[in-house]
Amino acid sequence: MLMEQKLERRFYFIAGDVLSNAVTGMAAAWLAVLLVDTSWPMLAGMAVGMLSGMGLGLLLMPAFVGLFGAMEVMLPVMLTAMLSGMVFGMAGAMQAAALQTLLLGGGSIGILVLLLTYAVDAALRGRGW
Amino acid sequence: MDDSTRKKWDFSAGFYDLLACGPERRWAPRKRELFGNMHGKVLFVAIGTGQDIRFFPPGRDIIGIDISPRMLAKARERAAQYPGSLELRVMDVHALEFPDHSFDQVVTSCTFCSVPDPVAGLIALRRVLKPGGGLYMFEHTGSHIFPFSLMLDVMTPIWKPIGPEMNRDTVVNVEKAGFIIQRVSNVYLDVVKTIFATAPESLQ
Repeated sequence: MLMEQKLERRFYFIAGDVLSNAVTGMAAAWLAVLLVDTSWPMLAGMAVGMLSGMGLGLLLMPAFVGLFGAMEVMLPVMLTAMLSGMVFGMAGAMQAAALQTLLLGGGSIGILVLLLTYAVDAALRGRGW
Repeated sequence: MDDSTRKKWDFSAGFYDLLACGPERRWAPRKRELFGNMHGKVLFVAIGTGQDIRFFPPGRDIIGIDISPRMLAKARERAAQYPGSLELRVMDVHALEFPDHSFDQVVTSCTFCSVPDPVAGLIALRRVLKPGGGLYMFEHTGSHIFPFSLMLDVMTPIWKPIGPEMNRDTVVNVEKAGFIIQRVSNVYLDVVKTIFATAPESLQ
């Protein structure tokens, strides 16, 4: 019974992490291409995408934190927002992107960031001195 | 009493439980494990709205303090359910109203991300701890790993007006305050940690 409860809880948080990062990645990508178009220099597009992504991440964060955890949510969500914004800000300055590409690309960045933080966390957890 | 800190947490008391719901659920097993070490006369610093009371082992003798009367007003309902002795008092950690060596243990939970002068606060805790007494902390700190360190530096000025600082090196602060670190264990990355330190046996 206790094991079942633990597994349910674990699944809830993993699902929450996936949802938070995927949604943030998609939203940051969408916002970046909304702000940046092909008339922009690539570097400016990247910078605007990064800043807008981080701003969006900060706006979305309280909802995710309240549901799924503090640092475990904040850090990957902010990284996802920054990276997705950068990538799609840069891409938006080069060519127009289809909505499907934004959703798939932004969501994938979110999942990749999450996997990276899981890997680093697994290496560090329980360690100390 | 630090007025600006009290006002900040009085303001945050209105929505604190809403934001703390996810973290408290996620951290529940580690907090229950850490607080399971409580014994003797215990001082719990920054008890807030009392979210942590459910993780206290029963039958302990605990004094919980917080700088915010509004936070404590919420904590009182939870404290009433605790099966042991739990007294709540409004108090600033920088100006503890307890005699020297009053407590066997001091416990903190996400406290020293917010105390304005963390080293002074920790020195005050050392004063009220008995020589050799234990300091148990569940804290989030800055990171030494890029890009997490960058993210925490970026978020700190944004969150600070209504909540904690996210880039403090609390382990170093504990050492600076004269405690002897016994064990530090990562709960999440190198950011969320449990810290166990002791006050020196002889007065320094």
